[in-house]
This record gives sequence, C-alpha cells and structure tokens, in this order.
Amino acid sequence: MSSQKRLEKSILSRRQLLQWGLLAGAGAAGSSIVANRLLGARGQSSVMIPPVPASPSDRSGMNPMSMLRDFDYGTVTQENGRTVREFRVEAQTSTIQLDNAHSFITWNLNGRVPGPTFRATEGDRIRVVFYNRAGHSHSLHFHGEHPADMDGIKPVKNGSVMIYEFDAKPFGVHLYHCHVAPVTRHIGKGLYGMFIIDPPQPRPPADEMVLIMAGYDVNDDQKNELYAFNGLPHYYMKNPIAIQQDQLIRLYVLNVIEFDPVATFHLHANMFRVNQTGRSLEPGYETDVITMGTAERHILEFSYHNPGKFMFHPHQDTIAEAGCMGFFDVIGSKT
Amino acid sequence: MSVFRFFALFFSAFSLSVLISCSNQAPTPNAAAPASPMAQTNSSADHSSMQGGKPKININNAILSELDKLEAKLGVPALSNRIQASRPYAKVDELVSKNVITQAQFDQIKDMVTIEDIQLTGEAKDVDYMTKLGLMKGHLLVAKELLDLQKPDQAEPHIGHPVEEIYADVEDQLNERNIKEFKTSLIALQDTVKAGAKDANKVGTEFKTSVQAVDGAITALPETQRTSPEFVLQVINGLLDTANSEYGASIADGKIAQPIEYQDSRGFVLYAKELYTAISPQLSKDKAEANKTIQTTMADLVKVWSSVLPPAAPVKTPVEVSQMIKTIEQTAQKTTKSS
Repeated sequence: MSSQKRLEKSILSRRQLLQWGLLAGAGAAGSSIVANRLLGARGQSSVMIPPVPASPSDRSGMNPMSMLRDFDYGTVTQENGRTVREFRVEAQTSTIQLDNAHSFITWNLNGRVPGPTFRATEGDRIRVVFYNRAGHSHSLHFHGEHPADMDGIKPVKNGSVMIYEFDAKPFGVHLYHCHVAPVTRHIGKGLYGMFIIDPPQPRPPADEMVLIMAGYDVNDDQKNELYAFNGLPHYYMKNPIAIQQDQLIRLYVLNVIEFDPVATFHLHANMFRVNQTGRSLEPGYETDVITMGTAERHILEFSYHNPGKFMFHPHQDTIAEAGCMGFFDVIGSKT
Repeated sequence: MSVFRFFALFFSAFSLSVLISCSNQAPTPNAAAPASPMAQTNSSADHSSMQGGKPKININNAILSELDKLEAKLGVPALSNRIQASRPYAKVDELVSKNVITQAQFDQIKDMVTIEDIQLTGEAKDVDYMTKLGLMKGHLLVAKELLDLQKPDQAEPHIGHPVEEIYADVEDQLNERNIKEFKTSLIALQDTVKAGAKDANKVGTEFKTSVQAVDGAITALPETQRTSPEFVLQVINGLLDTANSEYGASIADGKIAQPIEYQDSRGFVLYAKELYTAISPQLSKDKAEANKTIQTTMADLVKVWSSVLPPAAPVKTPVEVSQMIKTIEQTAQKTTKSS
C-alpha cells in the first residue's frame, strides 16, 4: 500500500517535471531532445514517444504498428449545444496474410482487424454510421450503456446502413463487436474493436496504446490455430514497440479470443498498475499477470526504468507461442 | 447566479403552464370528437418519416425502384444508381455534400427523403420481405444438398443462417402478415443437425416443416405480385447482390478457402434462377431482348457453382462473377423502370 502511494507520488512529480519541461521548452524551439514530443490528445502536456520505426504492412495494407496509437475521435460537430462524434465504418471482406502458411479471409471494418478504436469523452453523443458490404448480415453491438434499440443485436443485411446513436457512458474501456450468430465466427473473422470513453476529467498524460488479443480459427474447427495482438500474429516480435525509458505507458488491453475461455496478460521484468475496465480515475493494485475472460478489458499503467527489450504475452504459453507475443523496446533517455 | 436561476425557473414554470393550458384548451373546439383518434392523426402527421401522408424514402436502404421516384422527380438519368453508389449517408443533405445532386435539386426532394429507420410500405416492403425469405430459401436449398450427401456438419451453418441472420430482420413483417412463427421449427432442425442428423426420418420431417413454413410465408404475398416479372426481378437483384459479396468472400489466393460462403452464394443463385425460370415466359412476351440477355447470363452464372462441394479451382473469378451479376441487374433494372 505504501509502495503504491510512493508510485503515485512519483508520477505526480514526474508530471510536474514534464510540465516544467514544456514551459522551458516553449522558449527554446530547437530542443536537443531527439525523440518526438507529442502534445497529449487534449493538449495538456507532453509525452515522450521514440520515433516509430518503419514497420511493414501485410499485403492487405494492415499495419499493427500504425494501429497501436491510432485513436479515432470521429468527425466532431456541435448539435444543440452537444458534442457529437460521428464515426463511419464499412463492413468488408479482405484477405490477410497471417503467416507464411496461412492467408485468411477476414470480415472487418474499414479494411482493418481490429476495427478502428473509437474514442470519446463521457457524455458525448456517439453516432456510428455502419454500412454492411460484407455479404452476410452483420451488426455492431457496443458495450457500455445505451437504449435497447441501439443494442446492435438486430442483423443488418448486406447492402444496408444502420446508424447507431447513443450517449457515451460510462467512462472506461469498452469494446464493440458483431452480434450475429455464430458470434464466435463473426468475432473470430475480425468484426471487433475497442471503444474508449474518457472520463470528463482527462487522465494524466501518457504514451497510450491499444493491444487487443484475438484468436484465428483458420480451418473452421471451432479451435484457434493462431493468435495475435492487433491482428497479425508475431508482429510485435518482429517489430518491437519502441517506448521511452521512464515514460508513463498506458495500455488499453482487451481480450477477444473466442473458444479459449480465458487468457492472461503478462509483462516481463516489470509490474503494472491495473485500472479495471478503466472505470476508475486512478489505477489500483499492482501485478505482472492479469487474468482476462473473453471480452474483458483493462487499463494497465507502467514505466520501464531499464532500457532494452522486454516481452509481453498471455501466460497460456501455447497461445503466446501461436502468435500472441510481442516486445517493448525501451529506448534509454539521453542524459 | 441565483438571479439567473430564478429567471430560469420562472421561465420554465411559465412555459410549462402555457403547455398545460394549451393541451387543456385543445379539445374544446371539438369537444364531442373522441380524443384518441385525433391524437393519432396528429402524431402520424408529425412523424418525421411521413410527408403529407406519404412515406419518405430512406436513401441509405431503399431499393432502386424506390430511388427511381427521386430520379423521376428531378429528371436526372441514372440518379438512383448514383444515390446507391454514394452510400452511406449520415444526414440527408449529404446528397449535396457528396455531389450526388445540387442544392437546388435537393430543395425539390428534401421532403421526400430521410435517413431514419422507416416502416416500408407498398411494393418496396413486399420486395424486402420476399428477398429476405428468398435468402432463407437459398440457405435451405444448399443445406438439403449437403444433407443428401450425408454432410450434416457442412449443412449446419446453412440451417443456422436463416434463423441467425435473417429471421430477426423479418420478424415484424411476419407478425404483421399474420404468419405463424417458424423460428422454433428452424431451431429444432438446427439442433437435430448439430447433433449429427442421425435419424434420417426425423431430419426429413423437420426439414420439410421448415421449408413449408418459408414457402407459406412467401405465399402470403398476392399471386399477381409473385408472378409479376417487374416484382420478381427486384427480388432476384437483391439475392444476386448478396451472392456476389459472398462469392467474393469465399475465395483467397485463387482458391475457395471458405466453403460456407461458396455454398451460401450457390444457394442464392440457385433460388434466383428458380424465380427467374417462373417469370421468363411472361418476360419473353413483354421484353424479349431483356429476357434473352438475362437468360443467357443466368445460365452462365449458375455454372460457376458446379457442385455444392467447392471445386478444386474456382470456375470464375469474383470479378467475372460480379460482371455477370451486374449485367443481369442492369438489364432487370431497365426492364423494371420502363414498365
């Protein structure tokens, strides 16, 4: 408990340092810092993200590296004094290359698996224009609160449009997915994504990223043969995620693996603080393995104080070794 | 602050009292008239999807023959297809921002269009109903073929699809048309097949019950409609459009990687062919040339699905299949429009 207190304190002091750094940096534009200095999404403070190395896309154009920090805030308008965020998604089919031996026909949104990470602030009005051009009937079912007619369990037939509209609540990490049966197949083929609702008071600045664990049943035998973080198996093993030493990292982690009832998330050589379903303003307990049932999701926060490569993966090691495994590459800060 | 709050309260109280007095006064001019029908008339007139009693057209989901009403009003050739091609629309005025029509043209039709979920009426409603039941028929057609080949595991998804993907989408219409629910029969059949379809007699009986239920639902439409080429061609278009997407979703790297989607598309095309065969004699009298085009193309199209079990290599590429389906759709659309 006392260690947690100390941690919170250290975050605070680092936040202050960052803010001072920003103030000082305002006068000196040609700062000697090599890393990208990105303004936080809400523009309150700066976060250190190392330059993102050129990372390959698969043949369909899917690129887990670019999806990692890609948050879709929608097209924002004001209607009757309210913020409306409009998202447009098209259900499509496309073939992706899972590994050397497996090409796989996905059902996806806007050509990507997972679908776009929708992001809003609690209380915003959400409008999702869903156009089904994928043959089968599909739907979008959002987790979170909404009226019954927006629950997305009614199939939307091929060639039709459904506009889902509801208030973003409650804040936290949610998901959306197709709810047409068999859901195992509709999710397994790629119709899912993350839906982040930020609290009205923004969370402290951090290097934020999305990691979604999913399985692939490549031969329709109701078992997964391959697994992946953000769509492509083993991608972050071959293309480690560069992060900055001592930088606060905020992971939005979701498990949508079908068929296997549960998977853990484990981080090497570190502890992370858990904010369950993102429903709190502050993370709670510390651990280095968290157990997640299908559709469970959490915010995990940590910083690495040692440079080098560190793995992350479910500790169901068959799942990890079948593709759900990756590296963080901690880049040392210049002194 | 408190002054503001006082005024806010005052005004809301004031407007509330106005509302109350209005609603109190409303019935007085015609106190003898029963209140409820009046309220009903008001609410349906106010309903945003109605315009002067005429239902609006949902530009996101309307079939081409509905969109043709806009095309006719504005006199813009091929407008229906352009409206369809620029979907989806989050607002009706995106017809202008997406350069489908001009602001001046939009002003002429803005009362006719909506993006809200509307209750379909008239022919559009019947086409929608028949298309959904047609998709069910297609699924059951291939399911039967696979059951006959002693492949219950492969038949199962096609027995599941009608209830999983379509039934909920057509349930309101079934109730409205007083069709006895048949979800229970479909689920019962699915259970039997899932369990391995061990008792052939049981499967046979249950299958027959399900097919008869779908057929019964189709015959709820008047026979004149079910035998009208203009009507049936629109249903065929809906079926082929879905078959087209599913065929594309079955092939990867020049191989049929997903037998389920191959079989789905086979079922839809076979049923489309069945529907076409029934209207072809009439069509050959009215529109000989169109009939010839559709007949030849349909015959070629059916050959793509050489058997219910996928061939080693696809007979045609998805692009070639799309092209054939487009030919049929365009010919059918012209026929429907000119009649």
